[in-house]
Amino acid sequence: MSDDLLEIFVTEGRELVDQAAQDLHALERAPEDGGALESLFRAVHTLKGSAGLVGFAPMAELFHVAEDRLSDVRRGDLRLTPDLAEALLSAVWQAGRWLDETAAQGRLPHAAPVAPLLAALSQTDGAQTEVPEPEGDASPSEWAADLLTPSLDRPGPYVAFRYTPRPDSYFAGEDPVATVAAVPDLQRLTVAPRAAFDTSPYDPFTCNLVLSGLSTASLEAVRSAFRLVADEVELAELGGATPAGDGPRAPALAVRSLRVEGARVDALAAAVDELVVAKNSLAHLTNELARSAEPQVARTLAAAQADLDRRLGRLHDTVTRLRLTPLAPLFRRFPALVRQTAASLGKSAELVLSGEDVEVDKSLVDGLFEPLLHLVRNALDHGVEPRDARRAAGKPAATALRISARPVGDEVAIEVADDGRGLDLQKVRRVAAERGLLEEAALAALSDAEAAELIFRPGFSTASAVTDLSGRGVGLDAVRAAVASLGGRVEVASTPGTGTRITLLLPVRVRLARLMVVEAGGETFGVPLESVVETARVDAARLTSVRAGRALVWRERPLPLIELSDLLRLPRAAGAHDELKLLIVQTGDELAAISVQAFGARLEAPLRPLGGLLARVPGLAGTTLLPDGRVLMVLDVAELVG
Amino acid sequence: MTVRVDGEVIWLQGACRVEEAETLAAALERRLCPVDLSDCTSLHAAVAQVLLAFAPPLRGAPQLEFLRDHLAPALAAATRSDLRQTSARPGVMDDGRPRPGHKGEGALD
Repeated sequence: MSDDLLEIFVTEGRELVDQAAQDLHALERAPEDGGALESLFRAVHTLKGSAGLVGFAPMAELFHVAEDRLSDVRRGDLRLTPDLAEALLSAVWQAGRWLDETAAQGRLPHAAPVAPLLAALSQTDGAQTEVPEPEGDASPSEWAADLLTPSLDRPGPYVAFRYTPRPDSYFAGEDPVATVAAVPDLQRLTVAPRAAFDTSPYDPFTCNLVLSGLSTASLEAVRSAFRLVADEVELAELGGATPAGDGPRAPALAVRSLRVEGARVDALAAAVDELVVAKNSLAHLTNELARSAEPQVARTLAAAQADLDRRLGRLHDTVTRLRLTPLAPLFRRFPALVRQTAASLGKSAELVLSGEDVEVDKSLVDGLFEPLLHLVRNALDHGVEPRDARRAAGKPAATALRISARPVGDEVAIEVADDGRGLDLQKVRRVAAERGLLEEAALAALSDAEAAELIFRPGFSTASAVTDLSGRGVGLDAVRAAVASLGGRVEVASTPGTGTRITLLLPVRVRLARLMVVEAGGETFGVPLESVVETARVDAARLTSVRAGRALVWRERPLPLIELSDLLRLPRAAGAHDELKLLIVQTGDELAAISVQAFGARLEAPLRPLGGLLARVPGLAGTTLLPDGRVLMVLDVAELVG
Repeated sequence: MTVRVDGEVIWLQGACRVEEAETLAAALERRLCPVDLSDCTSLHAAVAQVLLAFAPPLRGAPQLEFLRDHLAPALAAATRSDLRQTSARPGVMDDGRPRPGHKGEGALD
């Protein structure tokens, strides 16, 4: 199979998966949304087709069954129950995972078990509707589209109506035929019985009619003709003379956008990043030159340099904006997960999403799923009270769980909020003491807000019993670490009895990292400036030995002193120093002093995350290129010290 | 009198109101003959429903555009397709005559 075919399969498949998930979400909110059902059907149909085209049998089989189910729903033989919607969503997400695998490995996945998914789709037989008259539950677009055949003389658009008068209409003095006769610009009329006639004896005074038709008048005009019987009429707007349904995909809405493969944007962004590095090295040269040049030349050089800085900044800005995508695909994964999770805990929850259209860097959309899932599970597991306790507290049985996003300046704040019992700070302090996270005295000195932050400490877990859900040996510290790796931070706010709100604050765009170059053990490293509180030169005489280590008093606070070369297991520089060069760094809520051999330049450079084996090396945040072309290892100081 | 039985043809004349439905149904139950709409000026839904239920052959072109161009063709189309799909409608024989003594499906005599 050609790579091209696989590439199209992946690119197109991902769009269809997104579309299908979006439609399922829409149907969850409005089960009667015929447009969403049609769009979902098309997406599933096309996914089945393209899986068949690349010879991926398990996916083709899965989507064949999904398509069958959906055509039952379209015909009105099956109701789209939450169970069925969930089974469909699971199938769609599975397709998403297969596509990810295909993209990563460049070939179709080998093992693709579909039995449980197929079973879930088939188990929805109980949802068969008992429809007395089959046309009663057909999707609106379908009955409306049926009216378009045979084709009409007058071109569309049309307004289709389906009027089913109540059986007692005649007794009420109504004449449905007269009502229909008043429809303006009527182009077509069909008459059918609502239910099969019983002519033995025939009951002439029970209305048993369905009157459908098409008009070229406006929707408002048609609606007005039926204003006295509005609840007995369905209306639908039809485009041209092309019936909806199968066949080629309906033309998408005119969105002015260009589909560009993500990898190309990444390549462009990488090229711009390298340009920034090249500019930095040029800046270095310019400074050298300026020192020995005529003042006039030096000024011109400086001006040219500033101009280049500004223009490159703008270019970098534009390119990073290319990578911005809405949070919607990420958020849409949660309604089903929340329902499942709540159900497995014997709780019920209503998920409220907001801010899905806030745009963030694509890497955030990809990287936030795990942390958000963890927070959602944690909220449902620990934050939300059992039903009895909620009832006793006078709260509604169903938890209101909110996931929201809003821009805050250059950052985006993503919140997961529950209306549960809130953090039990006494318990938090007690657990922190039991686990030896902090000394008793230090714990007692913490403010409530500081105590709440303890839940993000490694080794902390308030659950007395480790549950299947959130207690897999992974605490909320994993959330903090994941968010930090995306350049963000986590905040918690809690009110006893009314709920907990955890806020992830993340940069909307991946910024240039501001680094400080230091030397230790004969090597050069970068340290992110945001973790450096201050740099200091301290007289060696001011050091105090504390137990095995060393400490110093800095601004009236005792700080542990750590040699960077020790942390990195590099040889210490020979000889004693009268003066220590220190980085005062923040780790969690503590400060530490790290001594280095020498301070270097400060620079602004794009930080590249580590790939492959290096990604697993603790204490490394990434790499960047130095102006002279050398690779600089950038340290994650908090991880090194902590 | 708006439902007039004249030999082999039932004429609907003038404004056919809701109460005519019973008369027309009774006439068609006795004998399923063609119904002529030429002189009909309006047709209540209950009367139209009788035409739909018994599906007599329809003939004549009413003056009123709505009846001539929309309702009459719609009734004709519905009964045509109905007869094609279900040759044995309850109470009506294949030749269109009412089935003698028919009590409806599942009813006991």
